[in-house]
Amino acid sequence: MIENNKSKQDSEKEGGEIIVVKNLSKKFGSNVVLDNISLGIEKGKTTVIIGPSGCGKTVLIKHLIVLLRPSSGEVYYKGVRIDNLPDDKLNKVRTNFGFLFQGGALFDSLSVAENIKFPVKQHYKVTERSGLDELVKTKLSLVGLEGYQDYYPAKLSGGQKKRVALARAIALNPEVILYDEPTTGLDPIRSDVINELILKLRQGLGPTSIIVTHDMTSAYKIADRIIMLYEGKIIADGDASHIRNHPHPVVQQFINGRIGEDDLAVLRASGTIFQTQYLPRDFEK
Amino acid sequence: MIETIGAKSIEMSFDLGRFGRFLWKSLLASLRSCINPRTYPLVWDQMHIIGVRSVPVVMITGAFVGMILAVEAYDQLAGMGLEEHLGVLINISVVKELGPVLAAVMLAGRVGGALTAELGTMNVTEQIDAVKSMGTDPIRYLVAPRVLGCVLLTPFLIIYADLMGVVGGAFVSLEEFGINSSGYWSFSASGVEFWDVSIGVIKGFFFGGAIAIISCYKGFTCREGAEGVGRACTEAFVASFISILALNFALAIISKAIYNTLWPIKIML
Ligand SMILES: Nc1ncnc2c1ncn2[C@@H]1O[C@H](COP(=O)(O)OP(=O)(O)OP(=O)(O)O)[C@@H](O)[C@H]1O
Ligand SMILES: [Mg+2]
Repeated sequence: MIENNKSKQDSEKEGGEIIVVKNLSKKFGSNVVLDNISLGIEKGKTTVIIGPSGCGKTVLIKHLIVLLRPSSGEVYYKGVRIDNLPDDKLNKVRTNFGFLFQGGALFDSLSVAENIKFPVKQHYKVTERSGLDELVKTKLSLVGLEGYQDYYPAKLSGGQKKRVALARAIALNPEVILYDEPTTGLDPIRSDVINELILKLRQGLGPTSIIVTHDMTSAYKIADRIIMLYEGKIIADGDASHIRNHPHPVVQQFINGRIGEDDLAVLRASGTIFQTQYLPRDFEK
Repeated sequence: MIETIGAKSIEMSFDLGRFGRFLWKSLLASLRSCINPRTYPLVWDQMHIIGVRSVPVVMITGAFVGMILAVEAYDQLAGMGLEEHLGVLINISVVKELGPVLAAVMLAGRVGGALTAELGTMNVTEQIDAVKSMGTDPIRYLVAPRVLGCVLLTPFLIIYADLMGVVGGAFVSLEEFGINSSGYWSFSASGVEFWDVSIGVIKGFFFGGAIAIISCYKGFTCREGAEGVGRACTEAFVASFISILALNFALAIISKAIYNTLWPIKIML
């Protein structure tokens, strides 16, 4: 305990890094998804993580609240090592976090309102029901879904589910909010609403935000810092202009949304009609 | 060949270890929930889902067991002129063994399958992760109420199965075979003790717990996709079925030992 306090002070001196990841590696069987990643997240800042599909972005942010345990390496929250804590202690730590899952992960046996109340009811003795309803209403209007309290998740569209999930993630006004692709599956205007929302939340209580996204427009708009993950490693790390002018070809391809020359060559060489491709007339007698 | 056997057995013992931990955590969480009024509504919900809708199937199972016993045993006993003893035979088999076991097997299919499918779907859609991410222990929130629901309700369902078994057996014996009813019932009353009925009902606590914990475990550890959920359900049923039979065997031996120490004279008579 004393040791923990000491390292806590140290970390706050080091520029207020609220989350620190040291030499994190994660393997699933023989598949190395994260390869020796070290990273510090500054308090109150918005960090955006980009990278191609399947490069381990979700795996990385799940480690930040220890939904996955590292194969090796350490994770610290406010200077306290959390990756090896037992479940009951972790649960205390996790109340400081809000996590928006890539697929929403709403409880489908509960209504929208009950989903949003869930974290509150779990950690507070609620005596006033109207207060809770008020909270649900505010959070829902933040994500533009007022009036949807009594819907069940099965009746919502993909984008609506995402927004309800966001409302649930911010229900406890967490210190750290982790967003896994908050704008994927939303139309451009809704996406921008979510971007504005993320910016707005920052002004209020100033949570630390970590956002996984493919959407470069929103990355440039909201990020204080952009990190690019590629093949299990961080290949770029800096503010928007640093990323825009980054010399690494993979970074340039990704942010401009262009296929690499090598991949293009393969695609061109394969021709337009594949040998195994049939047309309806091939089946006519 | 040897390598694959080795790898399989390592995997199996690993799985067994994980199940052991899950079992321990679930039991602790269930005991804690007993003294935490905040979980009562959750338990109540589960009892409703598990219990009320299982009553008809369990009753039908019980009735058929009683009837078939009467049909099969009648000829044997009637040949010896012992048809009035049919009551003891049917009723003791029903309350002690067949009622509890078959009711539990029904529940393993009906309730266990539903539990595994529900939790498995929650697992693959990250809802269990979501519970964790909000600082709640999924075993406390999801498993404990289901375990308590099953443990508390299975004995009652067994009572229903027993009752229907007795009724079914009596119906066939008295109506169909025309056995003298006062003889039938008096032999039953002297042959079936309160102890026999209570053993059958007590088994229900164990069967219910086994079904719930195995089914929840399979749901929690199920693989991705619809196929993964389907396979988890099958595995849960098979595992529950075997553990019901094994538990039944163990409980029979234990109860016999207890009975013999409590009433040593009775065996000699
Ligand atoms: N539970 C798991 N078991 C085994 N492998 C996994 C598991 N979770 C993720 N992986 C593997 O880790 C790799 C990275 O997955 P991850 O979900 O982090 O990708 P991502 O960067 O979030 O991609 P996307 O942008 O498509 O969401 C994938 O190759 C995936 O197969
Ligand atoms: Mg992802």
